Amino acid sequence: MTTSQRLRILVAAALMLATAVLVAACGGDSGNGGGEVQVAQGGKPSGEVTISNWPGYIDPGKDGTAAEFEKTSGVDTTYIEDVTGNTQFFGKLQPQLERGDSGGRSLFVVTNWLAKQMYDLGYLQQIDHADLKTVFQNINPQFVDDETDPGRKFSIPWQGGLTGIWVNTSEAPEIRSLKDLFDPKYKGRVTVLDEMRDTVPLIMQMQGADPTNFTTEDWEKAIDFLKQEADSGQIRRFTDNSYTEDLTSGNAIASIGWSGDASLIGRDDVEWRKPTDGCDTFFDQMVIPVGAPNTAAALAFMNFVYRPEVQADISAYVNYVTPVDGVKEVLAKKDPELANDPLIFPPPSFTRGCSEDPNPPGSEQQQQDITEQFQDVVTG
Amino acid sequence: MTIRRRLIPYWLLAPGALWLLLFFVIPMGFMAQQALESGALLTGGFTFTWEWSNFPDSLSGNSEQIVRSFYYAGAATILALLISYPLAYAIAQQSGRWRLLLLFAVIAPFFTTYLIRTIAWKTILADQSPVIDVLQYVHLLPDDGRVLATSGAVIAGLTYNFLPFMILPIYASIERLDMRLIEAARDLYASSTQAFLRVTLPMTAPGIVAGVLLTFIPAFGDYVNATILGGTHQNMIGNKIQSLFLVERDYPEAAALSFLMMALILAVVVVYIRLAGTEAFMGEEGERA
Amino acid sequence: MRWLRRNALRIYAGLAVLYMLIPIVVIAVFSFAETPKDKLNFAISNGFTLEYWQHAFAIQELNDALRTSLELAALATVISTAIGTLMALALVRYDFFGRRASNLLIILPMATPEIVMGASLLSLFIFYSAPLGFTTLLIAHVMFCISFVVVVVRSRLIGFDRSLEEAARDLGATPVQTFRYVTLPLILPGVFAAALLAFALSIDDFVISNFNSGTTVTFPLYVFGVALRGIPVQVNAIATMLFMVTAVAILLVVWQQRRAERMASVKPEQEKTDVLASPARA
Repeated sequence: MTTSQRLRILVAAALMLATAVLVAACGGDSGNGGGEVQVAQGGKPSGEVTISNWPGYIDPGKDGTAAEFEKTSGVDTTYIEDVTGNTQFFGKLQPQLERGDSGGRSLFVVTNWLAKQMYDLGYLQQIDHADLKTVFQNINPQFVDDETDPGRKFSIPWQGGLTGIWVNTSEAPEIRSLKDLFDPKYKGRVTVLDEMRDTVPLIMQMQGADPTNFTTEDWEKAIDFLKQEADSGQIRRFTDNSYTEDLTSGNAIASIGWSGDASLIGRDDVEWRKPTDGCDTFFDQMVIPVGAPNTAAALAFMNFVYRPEVQADISAYVNYVTPVDGVKEVLAKKDPELANDPLIFPPPSFTRGCSEDPNPPGSEQQQQDITEQFQDVVTG
Repeated sequence: MTIRRRLIPYWLLAPGALWLLLFFVIPMGFMAQQALESGALLTGGFTFTWEWSNFPDSLSGNSEQIVRSFYYAGAATILALLISYPLAYAIAQQSGRWRLLLLFAVIAPFFTTYLIRTIAWKTILADQSPVIDVLQYVHLLPDDGRVLATSGAVIAGLTYNFLPFMILPIYASIERLDMRLIEAARDLYASSTQAFLRVTLPMTAPGIVAGVLLTFIPAFGDYVNATILGGTHQNMIGNKIQSLFLVERDYPEAAALSFLMMALILAVVVVYIRLAGTEAFMGEEGERA
Repeated sequence: MRWLRRNALRIYAGLAVLYMLIPIVVIAVFSFAETPKDKLNFAISNGFTLEYWQHAFAIQELNDALRTSLELAALATVISTAIGTLMALALVRYDFFGRRASNLLIILPMATPEIVMGASLLSLFIFYSAPLGFTTLLIAHVMFCISFVVVVVRSRLIGFDRSLEEAARDLGATPVQTFRYVTLPLILPGVFAAALLAFALSIDDFVISNFNSGTTVTFPLYVFGVALRGIPVQVNAIATMLFMVTAVAILLVVWQQRRAERMASVKPEQEKTDVLASPARA
């Protein structure tokens, strides 16, 4: 290639890019939506509604809750399971929410910390308790208040769970605490969640920090610890919920994981244990985004799923912690074993002292720094 | 030459170029704009500030993953080439019925989605599977060794998942090989090896070049294999960009890193094409339009 | 020993194809494994069953997602192969201003990480308030397939013997006729290979589709989604079914062809009918 030909290519490429940047620059800056927060309008539900939720988070099919809602309310309900992960969902919805558009969705479900972030960014509508009589009649007092949404201004609990350890009782029955996980004899056979707000609080508690008041130093110390254990090969990998595959196949004999994942693990000798030295809870929330087309129907849906009979169906299928009072009694008649499962109906003593999927402390910038530190370890 | 003739290449090029211009170049412009922004989503949003520092910053923090990606993609490409060439040759030699079937067998795994294929491999290569037992028995693995969560697993996964990208172009190239040339070479007392090296290989070079590019380039940016088959220290640059974009929401750094990645790949491609000979990539000079 | 040497290539090909099909075998095997909640867990702890095959189409979301993906892939393949072949012709045959820049343009999409490409495309669609759904998916899929098609077809075109085309023209064929009756059949294997690749790319895409699908669900999107809470075993059954159906379809097509040949007792001319005959002399 001669110099002049090389030059020509460079010029062509530069021109292309420059044109593209200029065209894109017309788009303006991205940033906070700004403006005042809308309050979702109530009213008689009608028309059609689209709801986004996590996969497998509702009893499905023609007799499922979504179909029942459609029959009872007369609203044409489209229920889609495209919340494949908090970050994935946020990533694909953010540009639209930025412009006040929800992509046709009237309601979706994300974990509480993301709900709070979305609210702070102006992507959610407020909800009026007057429109949610059934919800507030039946909500379990344990879950009325939440660190991330005191007063329940924008989120209503959907289902929740606990983060603890899954243990292969045939090979390592003695693992009962987080500290046990890091015993060198289990090197390379332990996995840890890649979700910062699940894993790090557990480690912090293991290191003696106070779950009601984590400091930035606590976070950093825990993240350093994780880096050490990853470097030494103690931690086999940072997983999303695919740790269940590792447990099933025997690659891992212990994993930090979520209480409701039993059906994903293909063996009977693996059980979930609440660690003796720390625990963490999470709660997914229903929220109404800006630009939601049919808020009356969304609010009606919220009320609908807080009826104990309806919630009982959801609970029986999903097997996570339900926020609704009275479900235990309904299930006791149909399936007593479920009704007595502490993983579905944890008594307050079970969850006392657990961290609640907290955000790192401090300003947004400090939170961002901690997030980056953790991600550096995870994508090491 | 008439004006009409001169315009022919432009007509042929037009639909594709237009499509790419609208749906690739302009989005790249958006990305370029993002790469020059600063700020953070939660602290007031991003603003366009000609933040050129994003580029060196993104490089310095992620050099380990970049080097690793080169290594994994490179190893996978070489392995894929070694596996694919004889297979493509064999397919091209078959008659129509078998050929179609074999080509289909090459593509068939794609019907099962990337995730399920790779999980299937994860099952096969599980620590306690018979496969591992065999490998340990023949001492390819230490007695407490494993394949999963190591670089080997990721490279194996990459190689497997990109085999069709290598096989198909090489097949297309071998298929048009004129057997009479090889016969002629043999008539001139060339051994099979010589015939292969002097006739077959050079004539199928365009297919090889295409296969190598189609394998290396996407493999470099892959993230699925590292996620499923890798451990804590097998992350590639694709994983890093995922993390930056989705979890850290650091869109400027993700965009800057992506451009850097593209530039690196282009540099490698240019060097490779030089070595392989530009005709193998671009063809002859062609009619002057 | 001699037999080994002569058939070495064929044996190798057999082994290589076996290697390629290993995951399909695994997937097929686990489609028969009974699991407590009908979710895949790659373990054979509860014995075997045929229920997932009997109820293979029980999950409406799966069926819809699969249909969407097949439609999308078919359309994307046709469009991108057509566009890409034209581009390849232009790039190999002619030297024109902008040729090298166009070559650059082809390589770039392959080199771009999918997540950024998907997100920037999304930004574009949102900027122009385009509704997200099947159409935006189609646009995205064609976009990333074009490059692959061009590279494959081009490698086939390089070194193409123009004398056949010149001969056709000498015999009075117009450029279009030459293309239709001479060029196209000769490059068809390359075009076919490119089409196969495009189809595979489209039916398998997750990242870009995730960003640009709106509320439409494609098969990979469905699988990645349910992977969180357990992939229904039906997915395995359907994947195996797809594989077998297509294999059988191909066998049938080819068997029909052979039968037709035999019945007509006329060997077809290579160039005209049997595209996949022995190497073309070009």
